[in-house]
Amino acid sequence: MNSIRLSWRLLRGGGRKGLLGAGLTLAAVAVSSMLLVFAVTVNFAFDGRADRSAWRNPPPAAKVTGKKSPHKKDAVAVQAVHYQAVGDRMLTVVRLAALDERATPPPGLDRLPAPGQVVLSPALAEVLSGLGGAIGDLRPQPEGSVRLGDEALIHPGELVAVVGHTPDDPELLKPRKGAHGKDVPATWIKGFANEPTNDAIAYQALALIATVLIVVPLLVFGGAAARLTVARRDQRLAALRLVGATPGQVVLMTVAEAMVVAFAGAVLGVVLYGAAAPALSRIEIGGGPWFAGDLWPGPLPLLAVVLAVPLLVGVSAVAGLRRVVVSPLGVAKRETPPGMRAVRVVVFLAVVAAFPVRTAGVGVGVVAVMLGLVFLCVNLVGPWVVALIGRVTTRMARTPARLLAGRRLTDDPRSAWRTVSGVAMTGFVAGFIGLLTPGITSGEVEDPGVAMLIQDLKTGTIVVLTVSFLVAIASAGITAASSILDRRQTYALLRLAGTPLEVLDRARRAETLIPLTVMGGGSIATGAFTAMSFTGGVPSADGLIVLGVSVAAGFAGVVAAGALSRPLLRSVTTEPVPRPD
Amino acid sequence: MRAAGPWNTHDKTQGSVVLEGRALEKRFGSTVALAGVEQAVRQGEALAVMGPSGSGKSTLLHCLAGIMKPDAGEVHLLGRRVDTMGERERSALRRTRFGFVFQFGQLLPELPAEENVALPLMLGGVPRGQAVRQARGWFAPLGLTGMEGRRPGELSGGQAQRVAIARALVTRPAVVFADEPTGALDQTTGHEVMNLLVSAIKENGAALVVVTHDRQVADWCDRVVEVRDGRIVTPAAGAAR
Repeated sequence: MNSIRLSWRLLRGGGRKGLLGAGLTLAAVAVSSMLLVFAVTVNFAFDGRADRSAWRNPPPAAKVTGKKSPHKKDAVAVQAVHYQAVGDRMLTVVRLAALDERATPPPGLDRLPAPGQVVLSPALAEVLSGLGGAIGDLRPQPEGSVRLGDEALIHPGELVAVVGHTPDDPELLKPRKGAHGKDVPATWIKGFANEPTNDAIAYQALALIATVLIVVPLLVFGGAAARLTVARRDQRLAALRLVGATPGQVVLMTVAEAMVVAFAGAVLGVVLYGAAAPALSRIEIGGGPWFAGDLWPGPLPLLAVVLAVPLLVGVSAVAGLRRVVVSPLGVAKRETPPGMRAVRVVVFLAVVAAFPVRTAGVGVGVVAVMLGLVFLCVNLVGPWVVALIGRVTTRMARTPARLLAGRRLTDDPRSAWRTVSGVAMTGFVAGFIGLLTPGITSGEVEDPGVAMLIQDLKTGTIVVLTVSFLVAIASAGITAASSILDRRQTYALLRLAGTPLEVLDRARRAETLIPLTVMGGGSIATGAFTAMSFTGGVPSADGLIVLGVSVAAGFAGVVAAGALSRPLLRSVTTEPVPRPD
Repeated sequence: MRAAGPWNTHDKTQGSVVLEGRALEKRFGSTVALAGVEQAVRQGEALAVMGPSGSGKSTLLHCLAGIMKPDAGEVHLLGRRVDTMGERERSALRRTRFGFVFQFGQLLPELPAEENVALPLMLGGVPRGQAVRQARGWFAPLGLTGMEGRRPGELSGGQAQRVAIARALVTRPAVVFADEPTGALDQTTGHEVMNLLVSAIKENGAALVVVTHDRQVADWCDRVVEVRDGRIVTPAAGAAR
């Protein structure tokens, strides 16, 4: 208990720069938590939509042996679902004839519609009254008419009509255009509860892939957040070890400090998500925006995030502390670091090579796991590549800035990787999505269902890339700032001895942009390679545009994030009396 | 016997005034750090500035070195006004005409010792190969043979301070400022470092300004002044060496 109290006192008493360090960690964790909640909730949201649209895909009744169709022994209704375009929107018409009046009605209705009765969704009622005329047999209805409830709608703006018929009405029985443009006959059904439609399943699968593409960088970012301003904390904890703190106490204090900040960050992240949810619910996927409840994940997932995030940060903080625990002088001495093991590259190559084999003809769950694995391997191989780049940069350096950058990359490749890992990971996402982006526009496709899916793939791409970039740029900005705080004494002394600020800034920039160029390119190539398992391997023009914009945005974002921390560099280097903590 | 170094082509006698502070005043809020200090240092001279904590000795060093601008008074280096220069100009001056040795932490932990020494030359535009060659020339005279490729973490405290001395002198500065240069060292190593520092300064024809609270360190210098409450109270105490 004393250890926890002491770490709380140290956290509070860390001075302005110390609090700034804790503030950076808090901001990083808050952004991660907010996006994590979003990534998780998206799956619940698509599950909700799948459930709400399942009644339009009801189970067919069993055939009665010996009797000619259409008679079925357990049928409760005859249903025909067809689609038509209304402007650029899709109208779904569900025609129903009750065979058993006691049958449970579909969601959104109190009872099965009587022959001739039309029940409209609120959005369709609005469209019809706006038109002032009919769409086929659907006419505007007076105020106060029964409306289809939200629980029967995929999204709040969906245009749906439920029309009552008699079982032998030719209007009900004649084949009409189904979801994918083919003529579909009416079906004798045994109830309204069923599995989601194929379209809904496709959306759930895509949501899962998108979640992996967002969550893995978030986990990496969250882990990096735990090690922000680690040098400062290491020094303090090494000092505590020197005065007799046991390794256990040091670990406890580290965990306590990191987790206190992370818990606050996670709570803030959840609050931020709550604030952003109304805006997020306006993103149109599957033909429309979301119900507010769709993007509310419920108390248990929120609680899980608020507890899991600090736990992850705590574990990551302990992992970053191994050197201090091993020896009190562990961080006081800076020695030539041992080289990174090339086994990282072997593992990476093995996983990437296995991807096309392991993902051929398997379920989306396996694909998601493999994708996550490749993603994590990019993170595994990153520091090794950064160290290699550092050695090459050092050998070729002609200017002080390049020399400083090269030596720094070689000295602490993990830390340098943390700065660019976010953007490199986004490169992977861009490479993957870039190759998967369809080359056709929704207008070129006759099938309205496919057209909508194409449009949604494009929207999804923008959402996933936007989230990835948000993480990446936040990560680059926060790690750049924390790196300045960690090295402020060295920077201050260099500046004091007359080193121009531009040289320090150029070194910082080179330290980021050189590995970013190599690793960004490598990640894009890895993402594209994994996507090749699902496509012919030739990117579309749209895909190339996605890639080009991603590369430009990545570089611009990292340069901007670095530039934002320049005032901090100026501030720490103008301190006239640099003193260690 | 002092080691012969790459500096020994210079004039070894004390010469004209190199650096001079006139009527220097500096306040931090309501605290007076300097209250009209007059001080000069000559070529080849080692000056020790002593005083208790908070007396203003470090502020004096910072004002003389162009790190800080005084509120009033003037600083002249070889006849040029330093206190009226802009930050960029003062920064260039610190890089080319001044050298610095601090208590610790001035070496870049990522760079091997020879590159730490070569860095000021590279900042001045000397090509890397030539800068490193020049830097290596300082290792033997300072007793650092074989340490060229070691990183600061692999050096002892005394060795690290000698590398810092090499770095301070490699650009052949007019004045070297040392702020508690032996503060983190044991007594024997401290004496070794001061011996090397003062010898190197003199043989290089530079001037030395040492800020210290340690009388034994001050005794290595030609002249000792004591600062109390922002004023020099013992203007001409002689060196005991």
